[in-house]
Amino acid sequence: MSSSLSRLGGAAFLLGLVVLPHLLDSRWQAVAITFLVFAVVALSQDIVLGKAGMFNMGQALFFGMGAYTTAILNSQFGWPIVATIPVAILVPALFGIILSAPIVHLRGDYLLVVTIGFNIVFVQVLQNDLGGLTGGPNGIFGLDSLALFGVTLGSQVAVYYFAFVVLLVTLGIMANLERSKAGRALHYLKQDPIAAESIGINTRVYRIFAFGLGAGIAGLAGTVFATQYSAVSPEGFEFLQSILFFSIVLVGGSSIPGIFLGVFVMFILPEIFREFSTWRYFVFGFAMVFTMILRPRGIWPARFGRIPAFLVRPHRDG
Amino acid sequence: MDTFFQQLANGLTIGSIYALVALGYTMVYGVLKLINFAHGALVAASAFIGLTIYATIMGESSSLLAVIAIFALVAAATACLGILLERFAYRPLRQAPRLSAVVSALGASLILQNGIMLVWGPQMRIFPQLVPQVYWNIGGVVISLLQVIILLLSVLLMAALYFFIEKTRMGAAIRASAIDQDAARLMGINVNRVITLIFVIGSSLGAIGGLFIGLYYRGITFEMGWQYGLYAFIAAIIGGIGNIPGAMLGGLLLGLFTAFISGYISSTWADAFTFLLLILILIVRPTGLLGERVAQKV
Repeated sequence: MSSSLSRLGGAAFLLGLVVLPHLLDSRWQAVAITFLVFAVVALSQDIVLGKAGMFNMGQALFFGMGAYTTAILNSQFGWPIVATIPVAILVPALFGIILSAPIVHLRGDYLLVVTIGFNIVFVQVLQNDLGGLTGGPNGIFGLDSLALFGVTLGSQVAVYYFAFVVLLVTLGIMANLERSKAGRALHYLKQDPIAAESIGINTRVYRIFAFGLGAGIAGLAGTVFATQYSAVSPEGFEFLQSILFFSIVLVGGSSIPGIFLGVFVMFILPEIFREFSTWRYFVFGFAMVFTMILRPRGIWPARFGRIPAFLVRPHRDG
Repeated sequence: MDTFFQQLANGLTIGSIYALVALGYTMVYGVLKLINFAHGALVAASAFIGLTIYATIMGESSSLLAVIAIFALVAAATACLGILLERFAYRPLRQAPRLSAVVSALGASLILQNGIMLVWGPQMRIFPQLVPQVYWNIGGVVISLLQVIILLLSVLLMAALYFFIEKTRMGAAIRASAIDQDAARLMGINVNRVITLIFVIGSSLGAIGGLFIGLYYRGITFEMGWQYGLYAFIAAIIGGIGNIPGAMLGGLLLGLFTAFISGYISSTWADAFTFLLLILILIVRPTGLLGERVAQKV
């Protein structure tokens, strides 16, 4: 597809998202918000997994950490939601850096298991109500509505646009990453870590950077999530969620349209086919296996930069 | 001191179950370099298959012969599932990028896990008591006949597997395929058959582990595969992935560790401590305690 056509498609898609909430009833507005929030988390996962090629299966941890940061600051300390946003970005980002620093050198599969471990420990911390802050298995509920300059924005449409702005910011970061030094470094790192190291890329720093950035964005999505439901609870951030985000990125092909498609299939289709909800994961399982067999690089594989096709050699990564 | 010996007995029992399941992970990883995510679900499936076989065939009698028949039938059925799994979810992706195979494995695991739910229902099922409830009280430490059977049978199976891998021609073919598949093929080894064999062995050992889980913990759920699978995989990593004695050692150590954590510190934090142990081991000894036996390509 030519670049101008894809740009046109992207603009049309975003325009569609702008008018979408006015065409939906309140139940579908909630579904649309979910779509935006999970798309942001999936994009943040893509930075770590798709762009930097690190097998991270604990992205729900950072999503949950953002949500809980907002919830705790709002319910326990009375901060307005908007004021919690910077903290809900910084705390997960900091944890992303601290947690990933000792493990980024691990080989793929080990990294995968350790990140699953982080996720499970995180949920256990939430359920055991550490420090009396997290509210145990029930979580925290009754958060304030979004308010800006004294105007309460309690409606779902307001939350929708909040989520939309967050998505735009994320897409902006992704676009910048594509064209910046850091983005190229991550790409080389994914293709061949040893070659990247040998041309002077500090692979350790960039790996930690990818974790930190991905965690910060996921944390921001967590704030929107907490705002939407006025509540947080541990089961929203179980490691099954992380598996879904992991699969969305790879089934989608680590490209922006692919990820949107993946989020739609994983989270929106089940809302449309509600009566078949017990079959949900059974069907997803088959979808995952068949997609990988038919299109091992995902439905809509990402391409990096403007490298002519004849220079790109098929390769095995990981 | 009573607590110590009691937890030692419990830990060895749980540990040998972990070890049996861990073997399925480590053997597959050794040859395919793939985390066999569906193995945990396979183990859960074996417990449910055992439930059905018990209910339909062995209704009243619980003689020794009947119990042995249940074990054999469940192992055979699970081995068939393992072969299907390899044939349809893993084999088409041998040449694909690593991550594609991981997603396929996760997909297969969702299929199996939710297949169990659709067939046997989402609620917890109680596993029958196949082993007579005999307890011995040795100086305040209670040990059941079941624990002794689990431990002895696991050790026996693992010893048999070790002998098979180290001393037979087929075992040599498995070891050769783990080192270099192409070279093994050039030496006339049918690598596809080796891989099928690995899935048969791994799945039937996992099936025995699954039955032990049912017998020991009684309550079985369709989701339990994640929990036991993850722990068994951690055991395999602790011992050194791809390393068969390592998986046995890792399983026993992990079982003891979790038992002592629950006995002395707190069972609500058991997962956290387990993963802390895993992370520490990976930082200090990145290839596990006995070293990994996986050919690395740079």
